Amino acid sequence: MSRPDKNRLASGGLIDRAAPLSFRFDGHSYRGYAGDTLASALLANGVRLVGRSFKYHRPRGIFSAGAEEPNALVELRSGARREPNTRATVVELFDGLEATSQNRWPSLGLDVLSVNRFLSPFLGAGFYYKTFMWPASFWEKLYEPFIRRAAGLGRAAEEADPDHYEKATAFCDVLVIGAGPAGLMAALAAGRTGARVILADEDFLPGGRLNAERREVHGRAGAAYAAHVAAELASLPNVRLMTRTTVFGAYDSGTYGALERVGDHLPVPAPFQPRQRLWRIIARRAVLAAGATERPIVFGGNDRPGVMLAGAVGTYVQRHAVLPGRHIALFANNDDAWRGMLAASEAGARVEAIIDVREEVSPALVEAARARDIRVLAGSRVIATQGRKLRTVDVATPRGREQLVVDTLAVSGGWSPAVHLTCHHGGRPVWNEAIAAFVPGASPAGLTVAGAANGSFGLGAALREGAAQGAEAAEALGFPVPPLDVPAVEDEAFALQPFWHVADSKGAAFVDLQNDVTAKDVGIAHKEGFRSVEHLKRYTTLGMATDQGRTSNVTGLAIMASLTGASIPETGTTIFRPPYTPVSLGALAGHHRGKDFRPVRLTPTHEWAARQGAVFVETGAWLRAQYFPRKGEKDWLETVTREVTAVRSSVGLIDVSTFGKIDLQGPDAGSFLDRVYINGFSALAVGKARYGVMLREDGMVMDDGTTARLGPEHYVMTTTTANAAKVYQHLEFCLQVLWPELDVAIASISEQWAQIAIAGPRSREVLARVVDADVDVSNEGLPFIGAVEGRVMGGVKARLFRLSFSGELGYEIAVPARHGAALAEALMAAGEEFGITPYGTEALGVMRIEKGHVSGNELSGQTAARDLGLGRMASTKKDYIGRVMAGRPGLVDPARPGFVGFRPVERARRLRAGAHFLSLGAKPETANDEGYMTSVAYSPHLGHWIGLGLLVRGPERIGERVRAYDPVRGEEFEVEVCAPGFIDPEGERLRG
Amino acid sequence: MRIPCPYCGERDAHEFSYLGDATLVRPDPAAVDAQDSALADRFHDYVYLRDNPAGAHREWWYHANGCRQWVRVTRDTRNHAIAGASLAREPGDAA
Amino acid sequence: MADRSSHDPLHDPLAGIAFDRVPPAGAYGAAGEPGVGVSTAEEPFIALAVARQGHAASVVERLRRALGVELADRPHAAIEGGTTVVGTAPGRFLVLSRSEPDLAGTLRAVLGTEAAVTEQGDGYVTFDLSGPRVPDLLAKGALVDLDPLVFRVGDAATTVIAHIGVTLWRTGETSYRLLVARSLEAAFTRFLIASGAEYGLRLENQGSGGRG
Repeated sequence: MSRPDKNRLASGGLIDRAAPLSFRFDGHSYRGYAGDTLASALLANGVRLVGRSFKYHRPRGIFSAGAEEPNALVELRSGARREPNTRATVVELFDGLEATSQNRWPSLGLDVLSVNRFLSPFLGAGFYYKTFMWPASFWEKLYEPFIRRAAGLGRAAEEADPDHYEKATAFCDVLVIGAGPAGLMAALAAGRTGARVILADEDFLPGGRLNAERREVHGRAGAAYAAHVAAELASLPNVRLMTRTTVFGAYDSGTYGALERVGDHLPVPAPFQPRQRLWRIIARRAVLAAGATERPIVFGGNDRPGVMLAGAVGTYVQRHAVLPGRHIALFANNDDAWRGMLAASEAGARVEAIIDVREEVSPALVEAARARDIRVLAGSRVIATQGRKLRTVDVATPRGREQLVVDTLAVSGGWSPAVHLTCHHGGRPVWNEAIAAFVPGASPAGLTVAGAANGSFGLGAALREGAAQGAEAAEALGFPVPPLDVPAVEDEAFALQPFWHVADSKGAAFVDLQNDVTAKDVGIAHKEGFRSVEHLKRYTTLGMATDQGRTSNVTGLAIMASLTGASIPETGTTIFRPPYTPVSLGALAGHHRGKDFRPVRLTPTHEWAARQGAVFVETGAWLRAQYFPRKGEKDWLETVTREVTAVRSSVGLIDVSTFGKIDLQGPDAGSFLDRVYINGFSALAVGKARYGVMLREDGMVMDDGTTARLGPEHYVMTTTTANAAKVYQHLEFCLQVLWPELDVAIASISEQWAQIAIAGPRSREVLARVVDADVDVSNEGLPFIGAVEGRVMGGVKARLFRLSFSGELGYEIAVPARHGAALAEALMAAGEEFGITPYGTEALGVMRIEKGHVSGNELSGQTAARDLGLGRMASTKKDYIGRVMAGRPGLVDPARPGFVGFRPVERARRLRAGAHFLSLGAKPETANDEGYMTSVAYSPHLGHWIGLGLLVRGPERIGERVRAYDPVRGEEFEVEVCAPGFIDPEGERLRG
Repeated sequence: MRIPCPYCGERDAHEFSYLGDATLVRPDPAAVDAQDSALADRFHDYVYLRDNPAGAHREWWYHANGCRQWVRVTRDTRNHAIAGASLAREPGDAA
Repeated sequence: MADRSSHDPLHDPLAGIAFDRVPPAGAYGAAGEPGVGVSTAEEPFIALAVARQGHAASVVERLRRALGVELADRPHAAIEGGTTVVGTAPGRFLVLSRSEPDLAGTLRAVLGTEAAVTEQGDGYVTFDLSGPRVPDLLAKGALVDLDPLVFRVGDAATTVIAHIGVTLWRTGETSYRLLVARSLEAAFTRFLIASGAEYGLRLENQGSGGRG
């Protein structure tokens, strides 16, 4: 089916002609080879129009041969794996590859939205900002729908990504970024010392320019030499050669981010392989050898398919054995482009002419060109182009104008070192006049730069600098450096005359091809006062999007510099930030997506609860049983009401293992607790527990819980589920930083002990059936707030606490975690005759609201103990964390919102947490806000909704009516203020 | 960022949680009467007032996902270069 | 985001496995000789000894004498017969024993008032990892350098792997032991399977009872 690849040279290139591949672009089948990129394969097949531009829908072709590609963005694959904005120049060809052009409708050849170019006055510089000046209705009705349809790039997949991604960390002594000549030598020099070396390159083939040029190194073809070095590196156990891996960011302390495209070159990742792997590489030293990026010259019509960077033409010819066109001309300002074009000509390309802005060019080059029958037009410039795909080029020469018939125009305005990573810690690049380019300034600590990235464009220099810096990095780390025979290669002269823009050319002259920013737009920005490069970037969008202005930044600022009359170094560059190239969000998430977003903690009774039909809820990292629905129950409220009623009338059980549990031992444990709780613990009797409140140093409540004294020097603290880690950290701070003189050892025992609460009038009878014979659980043996150690279930070590959160007679039984589920089963069996009922966090919440206990909603970090009615607990005989600040006038102001209960005046009303309180008749505005409802529940005990909340002077207003105002739900009605504690306010139930 | 934990060795900053200025000293609550406004002022400064130096900063990092020690780190706020680290219970000269 | 269980089993080794259960024993991922073996079968007794103020050196000495282990106050695992002592923080030692059911009692007798001892055997699940690819697998979650070139037998680290706190040490040429909080067994096993599938992973976890 596939057509012959008509532009493929008969021989040469680094492709595997024995491995033909078939692929599809826009529905047509084509043929390529292993070693091709999608771009090289398209060119081999004569496909030159590959996309439409961002704003003006202008036809665009392939512009580069690398990561800097601004034009050839395609949608790769289909369905759930469809990936937009993929650069065809870096997509490794695979058999069955499917790609589609973007931003065109109905087809690439006929795009009706190309009329956008007539709208260019509206889409020019600052068009985003100018739209803000339009009436709002314009934005909603006209502008946004239009821009969404007309401007833009590819379409994201609509289904969930079926592939998986992962993250990994690697450590090395020397990281070498880029496997061109400098990087290969750096890795070799460092690798031979025995240092741990990682060599990363974004390409699938190491070698960089050695694969794209015709140079000999050590008596071998450049590409063969690269393969030879790569093979040695691969053989060294201390070297890791990572191809298809882009180092995209330099972070602190020698940490680098890298993206490995593990399966992007396959139709579907290999079984159990990720599509991409995000690497965090921690390197003691790094050598940046990322090479340089060629930049174009800006002229009218420079975006036509067929206009291409000169180095890219060389790459396609030498590496892929593809002729990008039949008749090629070069437009350049430097010798390097001449050499590349002469080499391409030797390899079989038909080069018609070389147009150089310079009057004088090295006679040797001119001679070589003439010898290959190439016309030389010195002192000339391209002033216009024609053809939907390039057909003709108008050139202004010293002898007048002439038209060349060519289908490919190679362009070179010089090279820009890839300094990006050197700037990631805020370093600014420095202008180098000799090469008219920015070179690295101050680099991140531990990073040095070698080769073209350092502005050393000669091949010999790249090899030497790479070797020297690789060796130096290893040596600095103490590795003995053996001598290394660096290949001697002649350094070609790099002659260049800075030239940016053919100001007298005709037609739209694009600076930034990806964002459709023209030289005229830069002029508009200048006229409107946006002269700083950072403003220029934001105002025109120059340098934004996937290519981040790789081919346009320097040209854009050079044009701005010429408009302002400032020099290029005075004008400066925009700041380069990570990532160097786009990184998919999937790779950043790695394993942690969906249900694995973060680790879930399971309680010791999780499976048991699941068997009871529990519905689970995430509470922090924990998954807890929320309620246990039974057949026939119509909603959660019915279930929860049943559970609450069962506890209040008989007995229920709930797993409370999620509480934080901290063991404290030592002679100073009691006085330590005195200092962290507002109330005293040193006088607590052994065998007793006490409710405690701890503050932050600013006087706000941090956490609450019960702490039991198990021995003279031994306490066990419980914290809320949410604050377990925070409280532990706080205690360590107090012990290590504030009071290192205290002799207290703490240890987390949260995971060691499963803890189950049983509550209800029959709970003692249930408990009595699970404890071993010698444990006395009578009211005398285990009175309210008693805490004893004993055994349950025939010899299982246990801690028994008589505590209650629900207001009922209640106990908490702690056993080693492996026995947690067995304890639940034993309690169920023991309570069967009482209809013992498992209950979840919802019922627990209902009962604590009925009882008027504070919980997470009230411990918001903005409430003082006094606000919560807990002020009287505070000891006046001792100092404790937060004491002084809790005494601030603002926190003892009687007008602060205080903790009270609420019930609806019309009892059938449903209360809502979050509703704000207003005095009767007060206007609903912030000035009249008197607090808010923190918690609500339907009380089965009372048969109506009840609430807890913080109301200005609340405790003084018992019996008063206020309005509960809930604008979110559009509700407003009267509620009655009452004491918090709707059930058994005297506490008879829990003491009975 | 990598933090040299004196016990565990160099670790990623992800393992730590940050508290801030390690030179602050909690006022001695016994030094003056609790009602004394001077004490309140001292606590106010201790709780709220922070310098924000561009340069060397001695600060607390808690090695939450490691040895759970409070580590006194001297870090240059301009470039995250760490000059030294010591455990809270060790003498306080980190730099 | 959809649950991964809907995914292709050839690419997602966790396909069809409930996220809130410990994945069952068996072979996961690539076929053939597994690159990683995971066993949670062994259940040693574990206790934590925390030296009281000023007694760290003495605690080291007492443990050394009583247990016959070469010990220092640093992140290291001293292994002697059925006993392992791992330093997790200054003056803090996790003691594991294969044979001593009342480990905490024994340690209290050995250490007297010089240390606070707590039982921890139920707080951890012990993961024994073995095979040539273990370091590669752990590198997908750990932020510490576990390269066998630098992380030697007996080296220990208390750190975080895939957001899960672990204490781990290298027990042999290609074997590692990890202690993971009991509540995180399922989450950690899922990480191991997802990350180890490309090497082939064999999981044995029939040994630890009482998961409810």
